[in-house]
Amino acid sequence: MSDETVAEALRSAARLVVVEAPGGCGKTYQGASYACDIATALGDGRLLILTHTNAACDVFAGRTRGLSRRVEIRTIDGLIIEIAGAYRHPLALPEDIGAWARRRPKGYDLLGEMVARLLTRHPGIADCVARRYPIVVCDEHQDASADQHAIVMALHRSGAQLRVFADPMQMIFTGTQAQTAAAEQRWAELKTAADRFEELDQPHRWANIQPELGAWILTARATLRDGGKIDLTGNLPAGLTVHFAENSSPQRTGFRVAAQESQAIYARANAPSLLVLTGQNDRVTALRAFFNRRLPIWEGHVREGLSTLAAHCMAHQGNAEALARGTLTFIGSVASGFSPSAFGNRFVLEAQQGCVKPCNGKPQHLQAMARHIVECPDHRGVARALDYLRGLAANEAAFAEVRVHHGREFAEAIQLGQFENADDGFAEIARRRTHARPQLPMKAISTIHKAKGLEFENVMVLPCDADNFSNTKASRARLYVALSRATRSLMLIVSKEKPSPLFNL
Amino acid sequence: MPEDPHQPAHVAPYIRHLSINRFRGIEALSWFPDKGMNVLLGGGDVGKSTILDAIAMLLSPTNAATLSDADYWQRRHEDGFEIAAAMALPLNCGIVEQRKASWPWEWSADGPKLPDLEANDGQPLDPVFCVRVCGTPDFELQHEICQPDDSVDHFPVSVRRNIGVVRLGGDDRNDRDLRLIQGSALDRLLGDKTLRSRLADKIGETDVHGQLKESAKTALGDLDERFHKRTLPSQLSLGLVGGPGFSLNALIGLTATKDGTMLPMASWGAGTRRLAALEVAAAHHAEHPIMIVDEIERGLESYRQRILVEELLASPSQVFVTTHSAAAVHAAATATLWYVDAGGKIGRLPASVAAQQKRDPETFLARVAVIAEGATEVGFVTNLLTRSLGEDLRRHGIWVSDGGSNSEALTVLRGLATSGLKVAGFADNEGTQQGLWQQTKDQLGDLLMRWADGCLETNIIPHLQDHQLEAFIAEPDGDSGERLRTLADRLNLEDKSLAAIIAASDDIRALMIAAACGTAPADPNAPEAQKKAWKKHGQRWFKSAAGGAELADKLFGLGLWPHVAPQLLPFVNAVRRAVGLEAVQVVV
Repeated sequence: MSDETVAEALRSAARLVVVEAPGGCGKTYQGASYACDIATALGDGRLLILTHTNAACDVFAGRTRGLSRRVEIRTIDGLIIEIAGAYRHPLALPEDIGAWARRRPKGYDLLGEMVARLLTRHPGIADCVARRYPIVVCDEHQDASADQHAIVMALHRSGAQLRVFADPMQMIFTGTQAQTAAAEQRWAELKTAADRFEELDQPHRWANIQPELGAWILTARATLRDGGKIDLTGNLPAGLTVHFAENSSPQRTGFRVAAQESQAIYARANAPSLLVLTGQNDRVTALRAFFNRRLPIWEGHVREGLSTLAAHCMAHQGNAEALARGTLTFIGSVASGFSPSAFGNRFVLEAQQGCVKPCNGKPQHLQAMARHIVECPDHRGVARALDYLRGLAANEAAFAEVRVHHGREFAEAIQLGQFENADDGFAEIARRRTHARPQLPMKAISTIHKAKGLEFENVMVLPCDADNFSNTKASRARLYVALSRATRSLMLIVSKEKPSPLFNL
Repeated sequence: MPEDPHQPAHVAPYIRHLSINRFRGIEALSWFPDKGMNVLLGGGDVGKSTILDAIAMLLSPTNAATLSDADYWQRRHEDGFEIAAAMALPLNCGIVEQRKASWPWEWSADGPKLPDLEANDGQPLDPVFCVRVCGTPDFELQHEICQPDDSVDHFPVSVRRNIGVVRLGGDDRNDRDLRLIQGSALDRLLGDKTLRSRLADKIGETDVHGQLKESAKTALGDLDERFHKRTLPSQLSLGLVGGPGFSLNALIGLTATKDGTMLPMASWGAGTRRLAALEVAAAHHAEHPIMIVDEIERGLESYRQRILVEELLASPSQVFVTTHSAAAVHAAATATLWYVDAGGKIGRLPASVAAQQKRDPETFLARVAVIAEGATEVGFVTNLLTRSLGEDLRRHGIWVSDGGSNSEALTVLRGLATSGLKVAGFADNEGTQQGLWQQTKDQLGDLLMRWADGCLETNIIPHLQDHQLEAFIAEPDGDSGERLRTLADRLNLEDKSLAAIIAASDDIRALMIAAACGTAPADPNAPEAQKKAWKKHGQRWFKSAAGGAELADKLFGLGLWPHVAPQLLPFVNAVRRAVGLEAVQVVV
């Protein structure tokens, strides 16, 4: 049993303990119970739990109740902002660093780079942080960027004990190949440097529901990690269904299957709970149509379209045309059917010309929409224009094809209009979203990326073909993340014609 | 990855820079004290103790403080005061473990600065924390930590206690630390938080009433009745009661047993009390507290001063000491000496004066120190200045010190010239180090008397009239044999009568100068024994402090003063002015 050795390693005097922690194997339980045990023996120092998401912070906070004086739980970005804030003068940063980071592309990455450099070049500062936090627990460390990793290691050099939980199979591969290689290199080095390296291997998440499925997922994980193929030919565990179907959509990111193949899929969609997982954003939209718009899209916790829109509004205040263009981009990211040719170009043109030309019908509506921006050329005008569009989509036949897929994000953009300042508004909306913790719907369609960290009783992954799951590290990780979301049943929609090299059929 | 965690750079906390603004008599002061022992010298009322008080207030282990308008510069409380320091702190003082994080600055030669992200050094970092205490316009103290982002956080008592400051005041209040007063060193040493309240209960139970004699009880009973009649509170009794400003617990003090009797520590002598208070304070938990000792000599014999100074020097603590004791200055051989002048400016005495510190520590305690280059000059200057003042020099705080040699005197004068300490010099002109002498002259002005050429003897003897020769040669006891012998030896004469010597010499005055100065034979091949003997001739004449005084007496006795007055009078008057006296036209 690995649970005991992991628990013992965490509590040992070893300065660097690395735990490879597949999802569902009790990592949070291990981390939190360790924090509870050790916190009282820390003297004046605190135990710091560093996570990557506010959601993870909440989970740890729930399990370390009553220890808030001894245990601090924060996102690594939160720590970075605090340190950058203390040294904002030499870093040439403004007082509101959060807004600064939100306002520019890769703002948080830039901050991370600055703070990593600060701590590396000025170890006296790292000494202070390490003194304050003699023990640092890193959650989901595979998600740490190079700079975030450097920051944690600077604290370690300054004397902090590290307890690192990571699942390298859940690395998010969004960067360049070089970055991916560097991330793998970091993981390898971390393992080598560790005083203790342990692996969690008990599938607790499935123990009382579908133990066979849990064991199979862990085996599949090892297979994917080690470069092998998942065998779908032999005895499949209870809870796993493999359904063969071919995607016949002519579009690259579309989805369509023959009627006789679709029945099983629709049947599963009738279950009270289901998470449908697929690779790309565009395919999510296509799947929404495939399921006849009965399944909502899971928007995740990040609002890229909205953050871009807020920044755009800040940058182009007073410029109606530019604001209209930004609005158009935003609509493109959250809805379909508002195409530039049929709607967008005219909308931007109206904003540019000040909505003076008399017109009728559809153009009149677009002009009315643009007028909001012309009359109030900032985020408030944009919000009113979007609100107007919502009404049009609901009531006007000409706008019936405009379909909002990311309803929450769209609604938040309208909400933005209630704030004096787009930046502050965005921050406040993000804060409320974090604290209100959106309820997971019973059913949803999501990209695998956004589903990280979610658990659903029933999960369907599609399409499992060579396009979606090729033989790359990133694909292997993505497939594992998809498989491990299921707690009771897992259905794979597998292609025979374009078989994925990750399966043995 | 290194095996050992990064070690904190400093074991003992120390103040790297101190600034005081508008605190008591100090309007503005900026000081970079030394890491080890700092000895503050200077006259009375120049602010030495204020500096120590400021440090003690900054690091005070309690929040209790009563400010008065006298704590504010020129009593202008509406302007507030500020005492700020950049300190190197060991991280175990807890400053980074407070509720809000504290962040270090980086030390540079001219003070704390923000870390430079572009500096591609990897140099060992020298972090400092900036702390301050402010006196607000409404007489409150605010202890604060100044963060690099301009924000200000509370500087908590717990951190101040962990840094630690051990204070031995110059007044007789140090008996406070031997009592159980809240916040006193004894109170902190015992750390028994409930003792005071437990004792208060016990003391409260003491039956005072029962101890009263019958007549006293009757008197109290009568009073009770009268109270009752007037509907004042009644049922009177006696008990031990505290009151505002004093507490019964303050009656509890440290005791020690002497000859079988338990006696309060407070009844021992002042020195013992002070050393005891220092021990009590030093025993509390801060490892290397900052030590502050005002008037280290107080109550202590020279040998105990010496031991105390040596112990403080040996400790890793940063130490601040004021003293007026030559023994203490002498013992503080490796300490940094600072001179606080009447303007509240603080100047470092350079290491180059260390020899003088050993030779004559009184130099640094005088109001005006006159560095005379040798024994003759010491005797001469003392005599000259005494004549001008009409009384003992020491009554005016003037101290004449032997600089050791011409070049040593120059070293000491250069070292002291910019320190703030008032220094005067009296030296020969040996034709060496002219540039440095000129620099020093530029700094000191008339306070430096250096002959335009030669020395005392060469500047006085040539002015003797023929009829004065005999009287000049005669020693104070009337005997002139030994001096005549030195003259005769130089002429290779058996006969040492003045007449014979004058007859054999072509320039009797030059001969006298040569003998008085111990000039070597002109012939470099002269026998060693002769060279040695001639060198000793000077001692027969004026080469001693007594000789210098005799020379001055003769200068005035023989009426030669007017010849040297143009050189010496400006010097005499400069010294007089330095001690606040009017200039004079004549010296008799």
